[in-house]
Amino acid sequence: MSGLRKNFFIKARDFIHAGEASIRIQHLLKTMQFDPHLVRRIAVCSYEGEMNVVMHGGDGSLCMELDRDVLWLDISDEGPGIPDIELAMRPGYSTASDEQREMGFGAGMGLPNMKKNADDLTIESLPGKGTRVRMRFFLAEGG
Amino acid sequence: MSTMAGVRRSTGFVRFKEERCTGCAACLRICPTKAIRIRHQKSIRIVDQCIGCGACIRACPAGAVSAATIGLDGIRSDHVAIALVSPVLYAQFPGVMPGGVLLGLHRLGFHHTVDMSFFLEMFQYAAEEFIRRNRRSPGSPWPLISPICPVVVRLIAFQFPSLLPHVLPVLRPVALMAREVKKRIIPAHTSQGRPVGLYFINPCPTKAGARSDRRGTPPEPHEAAIGINDLFSELKRQVDQVLDSDMIPFSGSGFEFETCSSGNAALGAMSGGEIANMDIEKTLSVHGLQETVAYLHKIEMGLLKDFEYIEFRTCREGCLGGVLTAVDPYIAKRNVQKMVGVFGLGRRLPRDTILRLYEKGQFQPDQDPRMLTRLFGASRPAMSLEEARRVEAVLEDIEGRDCGACGSPDCRTFAEDVVRGHAALADCIWLHARKQEGKPTRFDRPTDDGRGEKS
Repeated sequence: MSGLRKNFFIKARDFIHAGEASIRIQHLLKTMQFDPHLVRRIAVCSYEGEMNVVMHGGDGSLCMELDRDVLWLDISDEGPGIPDIELAMRPGYSTASDEQREMGFGAGMGLPNMKKNADDLTIESLPGKGTRVRMRFFLAEGG
Repeated sequence: MSTMAGVRRSTGFVRFKEERCTGCAACLRICPTKAIRIRHQKSIRIVDQCIGCGACIRACPAGAVSAATIGLDGIRSDHVAIALVSPVLYAQFPGVMPGGVLLGLHRLGFHHTVDMSFFLEMFQYAAEEFIRRNRRSPGSPWPLISPICPVVVRLIAFQFPSLLPHVLPVLRPVALMAREVKKRIIPAHTSQGRPVGLYFINPCPTKAGARSDRRGTPPEPHEAAIGINDLFSELKRQVDQVLDSDMIPFSGSGFEFETCSSGNAALGAMSGGEIANMDIEKTLSVHGLQETVAYLHKIEMGLLKDFEYIEFRTCREGCLGGVLTAVDPYIAKRNVQKMVGVFGLGRRLPRDTILRLYEKGQFQPDQDPRMLTRLFGASRPAMSLEEARRVEAVLEDIEGRDCGACGSPDCRTFAEDVVRGHAALADCIWLHARKQEGKPTRFDRPTDDGRGEKS
């Protein structure tokens, strides 16, 4: 039997609807009664991923794939790309604009938070073309 | 629907008069936990999903839903009646000082009245101390969430269980108040063979079902909740007489906590009032049901970590906006502001004394909030991956508009009900309309039937 796949469109600069994909995913995982701590880790990662696209990425998408024992989050965008991934992973490093910082975003914790909360994370980025972040979560028994 | 477990018309918090319900569905979509369905033109409730917020009471235009509180005639006449008074009650009487209101309660037949002021101060000292001690540990679950509004705590238990560690582990003022009463007032009566009744005078229906928070243990002594609106007109008559007689309001009770009041406690009835007078820097106050849900989502997604303490109230304007109040919340707010002007905001309990009690563990909650997750929503079995897939398939197929005509609050809940066998796919009017137009749906194929059954 195949898993469950869901695609969410993410619109650039749409701060009002940012987070909706994350809330939908949380709802799904809660009805399946996964461990609250695991749900929270996935919530943090999907939200941070969504926000990265909204802030920097141009339009993009978040794809969630749920199988028996693993959940994938695949977030890709058509944005400017990340020239130096190692630098972008550093806590506190941010390319957010002053305006975005005034809105309370851009603390430079997005990618580090995702790395901390996901079981593993890979980034592919082509400057000028876009970025793709894939995260994997191993699901405990139950649910 | 008979297949749905734990479904009743009433819950521990609300009472339902079936003959008044017109099936208008005004309550259907406002329920924050999606506990309501319309079946056979009447509203029903999934009992263990009701968290006592009172939103359906407010929404019902037919008066079919009311709080599971008792009226004045429900007070046991052979009991010593003790009124535990929410400061919201004072705000219902413009120009009357708390002493006058408490005297009015005595004239209504209460033998003791207990004011919240000291207990709120104790709570605030303890909360400040807890935050001060844990401030430097980044591993602590920031932001902490105020435990005062029980609806918020139940909402977290039911819908945001990962946030339960954020609930400040300090006994709520009302719990401190009840403990003190049991220690200082009740023994004097029970030792003489007089039974005692504790009556919580409340602005919201949340206490009525509190016994269901501790299922199985009958409260000792007798406890009940009285809504402010249950006794308002009779109390008003007494209070007016007190004012007319030019008496200086003094109820003559034994303990200071029975009569005193403070600007601090009055302010606590208002949204923002709990934190306004607390010595914590990074605080927020959020009020309203939707706003509370939205902010809990934010915390769950890792936001607001820079705040130390958030006061949530699910009622607009805070407890003043409770569904069982008698006076318009904005007028009540003005009354509170005037009381603060008269009393000031100083605290009267010495901090050192409270900190000694804190050291002794006197503020530790007697109940782990995680216990609540077993009480709320326990009747819902976990969905399997296969079922979750079918929910998505149903949703795609009905392409609905969250109209609620099927009797479920929105399309997603309907799809979940269908997959769980609690609703029939044929109840969706959108699907029905498309069938009428001759457009086939995947559910015409027998293998993928939504398993719905019509009752």
